[in-house]
Amino acid sequence: MPPASSVSRIPVEERLFSLVLALLATDTGLTKNEILSTVQGYRQKFQHSGDNSNLERQFERDKDDIRDLGVPIETVESPGQAGNNQNLRYRIPRGDYELPSDIAFSPEETTLLNLAAMVWREGSLSGESRRAIIKLRSLGVTTTEPVLGYAPRVRVRDAAFEPLSAALEKHLIVQFAYLKPGEGEPRLRTVAPLALVQHQGRWHLYADEPESGSTKTFLLRRIVSAITTTSKSFPPPAADQSERALAGLEEVWRRHTAVVEVEPGSDAATRLGKRRGTVAAASGALELHYSDANILADELASFGPEVLVLSPPELRDAVRDRLLRTAADHG
Amino acid sequence: MAERAQPQKAQDKLAFLLSLVPYLMDHDRVSVAEAAAHFGVPEEQIRDAVRLISVSGIPGETSSYQHGDLFDISWDDFEENDEIVLTNLVAIDDSPRFSAREAAALIAGLQYLSALPEHADRAAIASLQSKLSRGASAVPSQVAVEASETDDTLRLIREAVEQGVQLKFDYLNSRGEHENRHVDPLRVESVDADWYLRGWCHLREAVRTFRLDRISNPIVTDEPITHGATDVTLPDTLFEGSADDLLVTIDVAAGAEALLVDYVPDGAITTVVDGRVRTTVRVSHYHGLKRLIASMPGVATVVAPPEARAVVAAWAAAGAARYR
Repeated sequence: MPPASSVSRIPVEERLFSLVLALLATDTGLTKNEILSTVQGYRQKFQHSGDNSNLERQFERDKDDIRDLGVPIETVESPGQAGNNQNLRYRIPRGDYELPSDIAFSPEETTLLNLAAMVWREGSLSGESRRAIIKLRSLGVTTTEPVLGYAPRVRVRDAAFEPLSAALEKHLIVQFAYLKPGEGEPRLRTVAPLALVQHQGRWHLYADEPESGSTKTFLLRRIVSAITTTSKSFPPPAADQSERALAGLEEVWRRHTAVVEVEPGSDAATRLGKRRGTVAAASGALELHYSDANILADELASFGPEVLVLSPPELRDAVRDRLLRTAADHG
Repeated sequence: MAERAQPQKAQDKLAFLLSLVPYLMDHDRVSVAEAAAHFGVPEEQIRDAVRLISVSGIPGETSSYQHGDLFDISWDDFEENDEIVLTNLVAIDDSPRFSAREAAALIAGLQYLSALPEHADRAAIASLQSKLSRGASAVPSQVAVEASETDDTLRLIREAVEQGVQLKFDYLNSRGEHENRHVDPLRVESVDADWYLRGWCHLREAVRTFRLDRISNPIVTDEPITHGATDVTLPDTLFEGSADDLLVTIDVAAGAEALLVDYVPDGAITTVVDGRVRTTVRVSHYHGLKRLIASMPGVATVVAPPEARAVVAAWAAAGAARYR
């Protein structure tokens, strides 16, 4: 912070806005020195013959904040000065900054996108979806009011989501302790994150594990440590990772079936009967699909005497053990 | 739905400035009120942004922000008529692209909503997703949500709203009782994989929240509604506490508190006892509590009152007895 002087304080957004305008307006690019000495918000603090390292750090942070918004800042080397960092020139290439002119959204599409953004109104993607909507409104399209009001919401409660999505974006290797059911101790995993997907209401990380040479799916709620993001990067994977992750989970879900008997007319009968993929057998028993036996066991245990698991035997045992445990804990 | 005012970070303000300029360029003359309504922001936010834009620009050839290097507006129109007319433009020609994460958030949101009747046209949704990808500054991040699953109920709810009539259905309430309900549908809400209808219930004569997976035999009636979406202010929270709620003390394994966040009332005191978190949950009756606790075996335990412990123990024991 400069000493209180005659210079009135320039708001951060004015400095960022001025930087974007300056970099958009230049074809050849501006050197860091030119930026710091002439652009509004920097020039007021620039020392013509002195140390500007604070201001340089400020400029680095500002560049990150601006790039976060999807504004591309590129660096070009000055002619004949290759390798000289002081003479790197910065610019925003107009074609990569502007929304392509053939992209337009109809009022109906805009309405759908407003709803899609509303899905994220809590948690880690709320800022992104809010900004996306502001950019959408920039196009001036008016929305149609939906016949029926919706308030959809996807929650991101796992603390691991935010650091994982940042690492995903930057293609950085991460480490965390993971507690696999049936294993007494959590194990440290080192993985390259490929996608974050929500399946059956739960968030999963799809990642390459170099140690085992395989691609695995981790349940975020079983990550029991903070996420450590390393500085080691990996090559960007093909663009269809989230589809593969969902397809893999869907395949596991499809392959696993449980047969349960439900008390007619009970909460279990109504809710399990309405689950996607549930088939009622002639006997009245329900055949359910599931992707994780431990999670299904927790869910079935909540129905108490309304549910009796017939198969598979491991699930039957798991539900019985859970009920016995709860009864013992409250006895 | 009313949008709550969010505190704006400098990044949000920058995104707003970069979005407002092209909008103003497309409108030769626009009132502050109209721009505020379009962007869904307070009028003062538009005025502040216009004041900032009007003194902004590029250093220019002289490196000193000469008049012609700055945006300008018609000050008379702005100050006297509250209208915005840009008279000089700098640097910006078009709307900015979406960031990779912004595009990903919208694409994943669209996927999640694919069960809505409005999404019936799958080809249109696919084209919309591809436009978002092309309109992003980088490949959208790999974040996805499984398509939500709902049955025909959503379509019938929509039909009832369109026709302005009541929806009739069998409802299994959380106490396990079956009731026939007549409801004026007001809004459909969701939390992850769970979908809810909020409506004016003619049986209870109040606003109620219904889980879609507890609704059976929905029928669009020909009885007109008495309460429309514009007549009723819906509270923001899906579940509201009532004065009759029961407070229960529970211990929960550290790290698992997040699973209970919907049940913990504001201002609840949380302490750590023997490495477990002790807190209070609010439930309308023990029927819900016993199910909740039985879904967290070894993770959550009721400490008090004793009646609550007994209800949970009996529920779990009855369940276990079926395996003898």
